[in-house]
Amino acid sequence: MEILIYGAVTSAIYAMLAVGFTLIFGVARILNLAHGSFYALGAYSAYVLTTLAGLPLWLAALLSIAIVAIFGVLVEKILIRPLRSSQLGVLMISLATALVVEQALFLIFGSEYRNVPAFIDTKFNLFGVDVAGQRLLTLAVATVAIGGLYAFIQFTRLGSAILAISQDPLAAKYMGIPSDRIFSLVMAISAGLAALAGVMAGPFLSVQPSMHLLPIVKAFAIVVVGGLGSIPGSIAAAFMLGYAETIVAYLVSGSWTEIVSVLATLLMLVFRPAGLFGKRAAF
Amino acid sequence: MPISFKRQTLHSLLAGLLLGSGLLGTTALMAQDKPVRIGVPTSVQLQVGRDTLTAVKMAVDEINKKGGVLGRKFEFVSADETENPETGISAIKKLTADEKVDLLIGGYTSGVTLAQLPHISAAKTIYLGVGAASPSITNKVKQDYDNYKYIFRVGPVNAAHQARALVDFISKFVIGELGYKNIAIVGENAKWVQDLVPILSKGAKEVGADVRMTELFDTQTSDFSPLLAKVKSSGAQYMIVVLSHASSDVFAKQWHDAQVPVPYGGIDVKSMDGDFFARIGGKSISEIAANFAVRAPITKKTVPFFDEFKKNSSNFPVYSAFFAYDAVFIYADAVKRAGSFDTEKVIKELEKTKHEGVAGEITFDEQHDVQTGPGKVNFMFVQWQEKGERAVIYPKELRTGKFIMPPWMKK
Amino acid sequence: MKAFKGLDTLSSFGGLVALLLLGVLPTLFTGKYLVGVLTVAAIYGIWAVSWDFMSGLTGRENFGHSLFIGVGAYAAGFLNVHFGVGPWWSLPASMLVSMLFAVVLGFPTLRLKGPYFALAMLSSAVIMQRLMLIFWEYTGGEEGIQDITPLIVNPLHYYWFVLAVLGGITLLLSWMARSRWGLILRAIRGDEATCLAAGLPITTYKIVSLVISAAFAGLGGALYAHYQLQVSPQLFAVVTSITIITMVYVGGMGTIFGPVGGALLLTVMTEGLRNFGEWRLMIYSLLLIFILFFLPNGIIAPIWQKMRNLGRPS
Repeated sequence: MEILIYGAVTSAIYAMLAVGFTLIFGVARILNLAHGSFYALGAYSAYVLTTLAGLPLWLAALLSIAIVAIFGVLVEKILIRPLRSSQLGVLMISLATALVVEQALFLIFGSEYRNVPAFIDTKFNLFGVDVAGQRLLTLAVATVAIGGLYAFIQFTRLGSAILAISQDPLAAKYMGIPSDRIFSLVMAISAGLAALAGVMAGPFLSVQPSMHLLPIVKAFAIVVVGGLGSIPGSIAAAFMLGYAETIVAYLVSGSWTEIVSVLATLLMLVFRPAGLFGKRAAF
Repeated sequence: MPISFKRQTLHSLLAGLLLGSGLLGTTALMAQDKPVRIGVPTSVQLQVGRDTLTAVKMAVDEINKKGGVLGRKFEFVSADETENPETGISAIKKLTADEKVDLLIGGYTSGVTLAQLPHISAAKTIYLGVGAASPSITNKVKQDYDNYKYIFRVGPVNAAHQARALVDFISKFVIGELGYKNIAIVGENAKWVQDLVPILSKGAKEVGADVRMTELFDTQTSDFSPLLAKVKSSGAQYMIVVLSHASSDVFAKQWHDAQVPVPYGGIDVKSMDGDFFARIGGKSISEIAANFAVRAPITKKTVPFFDEFKKNSSNFPVYSAFFAYDAVFIYADAVKRAGSFDTEKVIKELEKTKHEGVAGEITFDEQHDVQTGPGKVNFMFVQWQEKGERAVIYPKELRTGKFIMPPWMKK
Repeated sequence: MKAFKGLDTLSSFGGLVALLLLGVLPTLFTGKYLVGVLTVAAIYGIWAVSWDFMSGLTGRENFGHSLFIGVGAYAAGFLNVHFGVGPWWSLPASMLVSMLFAVVLGFPTLRLKGPYFALAMLSSAVIMQRLMLIFWEYTGGEEGIQDITPLIVNPLHYYWFVLAVLGGITLLLSWMARSRWGLILRAIRGDEATCLAAGLPITTYKIVSLVISAAFAGLGGALYAHYQLQVSPQLFAVVTSITIITMVYVGGMGTIFGPVGGALLLTVMTEGLRNFGEWRLMIYSLLLIFILFFLPNGIIAPIWQKMRNLGRPS
């Protein structure tokens, strides 16, 4: 039972991270290794705004998301776009950016864990399982956010524009769709989603400068398994991986969980580079 | 095209000035006796490291105020060893080969110290450990005295002693006073814990505990919910923890938020931090953490040290600070007795150390390891209580407050 | 002085001079500190050169080079500490082990295109690192294996040994890069389809170059183990791979000798930056961004080119 609930929470967080990651790849063909940094910045920003600026939590959360979204747009515009011709170049520079962010956080806040306050501090008992309120809230928020995003893409004009670009960038340009502006928008959504994950999960997961590393490894794993560029694929893979990890953690031991995601990536890359749902193969 | 003439002359003038002042400076320095340089390899980013440095500074200032030792003043320089053996080795090399220190005081992660040992030995520099607990460190002194005689541990008491202290705590308090026989042992997967847990398990069983589960988790773990759920379902009534590098903050928060019906305590280094309770919103309430000293007259030096430390830093000291402070004086005294700074002579005197330190009397056994026992350095078990107050719960003779249960378990 | 076939006189002469200078440098200063730094720099040089041979030439950037390094280092550690074998055996043993891993990993991953190959290797390195931690009872976990016996006790002599190895490997790989082999590898970088059409056994070439790259990486790993006298899972870390790639970028991708300069420059710089303490890694990362933007051809190789062209009429 615990596995069911905790697995759901974990999967939800992963889904938020993976969807953003796959979105920016699907639309702009950018493998953004700094995605984890958005997650980290979301959490730290919430910490700073609540602890140092004394803002109420909900306001801090919204501001954090906004700040990180803007940061994401800037990173894309200034650092990534000039190098877009080389996928490897983008990889390297996004990685370098992630490192710079980590070092900056380290220099400013030190390596100790920081405390992000939770929205809900009480405990709930669901089907005999003790769950912290914040975890359940995270699950709820993730569902709403991703659901909202999906609806946005399917049902709005802007969403169609995004879809168009991801399917055929050249044709979209001829149709008059301003791809550069769409890239920025998508980046903002991607970063914002990651920041949201950081704000929600920060209270119960660790908040320290290197917190960006594991999420990016997992997000990448999920996106590869689900198929690069496919949102439903990412969600499905997020749940698969989330549950796989939780099951391994409960039944075997915590140390093996990291291997699950990385091994999944490796195997998927080797045997089916397109992922489960991806239309675009790794070739 | 050549640089403008003016610029060139300015450059050379500047260079000349710098050179001249440099020469003057060095000659001035050479006029005095060379100061004794203490190298401090420690995890500068952590509280443990910062407090080590503050303590060394305090001791050095006190000694210098009294004119130094044998006419020489003390000074110190630090190097970040982080928690990683590579950086640790490089820190030792920097201190011994580049900064040419006369003495090393520091240490925290046992694994890092072990990696540093051959390099310290090659540099033939005395090393006074103040933070790492693995017995393997001082075992080397026994196995290869000639090469490793430079190594001493001023603190903490080694992991084996710590295990025995924990066993006492379990037998006399957890079982004896709380009546809880079922325990769970949970620790981070680091060398010192790997050394400690087998002794702990065996000892606990011998005193009548029913060890329901033992688990060592990866130090990087940030989600303890599977672990906490396992502890709960194991039927344990008390959870003994052995933590140092792991995310104690997150552990406490998650334990508190899930309202796990199992109180916990044991060794939790991060919980020794003065601001631990506050920085996690009070969620460590009722946790018992072992400590070597609190602001109480354990020895004549304890309270003055705590107060003086608070003036130099924004918090109360953690364990490495007590030993770092003592270490400087122990070295100074050994030098005085030896009448010289010669390494071999100082080592002989260090071995005879009998020093009244902050946490107890410091003496070394034949492996250069600090001894434990009545009057010497001992573990005491301190609990976090309301409003961030701390009370010594065990040993009974030192008790300063009443034990409390986690808020959700009060009848 | 007639040099190896394919290597022109000037380059080999220049290389020899540089090597001699490096060898003499520490003797000018007292104290063991410089020797230590230069030894580490030389080992990084070996790693950088081995990386450049495969990835610089074929354009298949290997983000998991640390795996081969770590495997070689641990092989040395195991042999030396757990099996009590003499330290000199580590050298061939580490090469063999790394080569084995290269074969096993190369087959499935070399089919993949650029970024995917990079990330597949990265994942493999991360898995290896994890495994070292999980099986801590055998591998020593986070602290790794300690007490490895040094190969040559005198630090200066060991430095010269490592320098000689570096020189030898650079020479060998430079020669190979300028030979037909190198030509084919570069062709693969340009257009694989055409190569296939021309009937070239691309897969064989790719795998063999990966194996060669891995062999020397592992050798470097063993040399490192006998220098640090311990090995830890940190060797497998992503940071190690990234550091090496940075060095190659700075030196000039695909030039083989450039990465040596890159390794030396960056290692010395890192030690020099020690005084900046916490800022060190930050400066490092900023440097990487800077290079990626403004100097995609690196620093060392273009400087050498300019120097050569000075003596030539345009």
